Amino acid sequence: MAPILEEITERARDRQQLCADVKALLVDRLDLDVDPTLIGDDQPLFGRGLELDSIDTLELAMAIEEKYEVTITDDETDSLLSLNRLVDHVEANRP
Amino acid sequence: MTSVALAAVDTPAIAAPLSADDIARLLPHRYPFLMLDRVTALEPGISAEGIKNVTASDAVLAGHFPGRMIYPGVLLIECVAQLAAVIYGSAALVNAEDASAGVSDRVGYLAEVRQAKFMRPVYPGDQVTLRATSGPRMGALISVTGQASVGREVVMTARLVVTERDQEE
Repeated sequence: MAPILEEITERARDRQQLCADVKALLVDRLDLDVDPTLIGDDQPLFGRGLELDSIDTLELAMAIEEKYEVTITDDETDSLLSLNRLVDHVEANRP
Repeated sequence: MTSVALAAVDTPAIAAPLSADDIARLLPHRYPFLMLDRVTALEPGISAEGIKNVTASDAVLAGHFPGRMIYPGVLLIECVAQLAAVIYGSAALVNAEDASAGVSDRVGYLAEVRQAKFMRPVYPGDQVTLRATSGPRMGALISVTGQASVGREVVMTARLVVTERDQEE
């Protein structure tokens, strides 16, 4: 049973790292005046969340594509609603 | 009869160089805000290169500034934005089944200016070479990277986001 627990722990750690990386990418590329470690995993990106606007979607999609080789198409903009959904999208589509 | 058939088949594809009049057929801009003098290279939907000649008789230089004429940096950005409109306007023309559809109506708005740098002023007598490359798009938003140079010297670089208007709008 131990290896399975290890596996799960490792996957959780990878996920946490990916979340932290995406937060840092967000702050860097969109010049946000916020500490990336203070962004919650479930925080909405738009509106009252991180206060991104519709024009930021393109910059964000470009940043994700450059760093993770994952595209976000017009039909997948739901993936930009919260940090968790964005990270889900990156995890599911990474090459 | 034959000549009519030939004319219908032989639809001229849009290709550089484009004169100022050709450019005016792609853009809604008119005097005093049609900035581009010529498009020297064009890959519809992808990239373009154009020329803007800066001259002392340009009315804007009378005020910017009296006794020290400098071509406004914001207008260099406008030049790149207009070149971007040529890039996607020409693509629409190539893809259009009905060539009479108003291509200039597709020109939308300048949505964002990011990382604009002005390395040196542009003076009357300078011939500005403009380059624009279209990047990823999402919905109506299109990212564009642009550059202006005089001779071999880069005078301005910028990243823009422009929009294309939906025809149904």
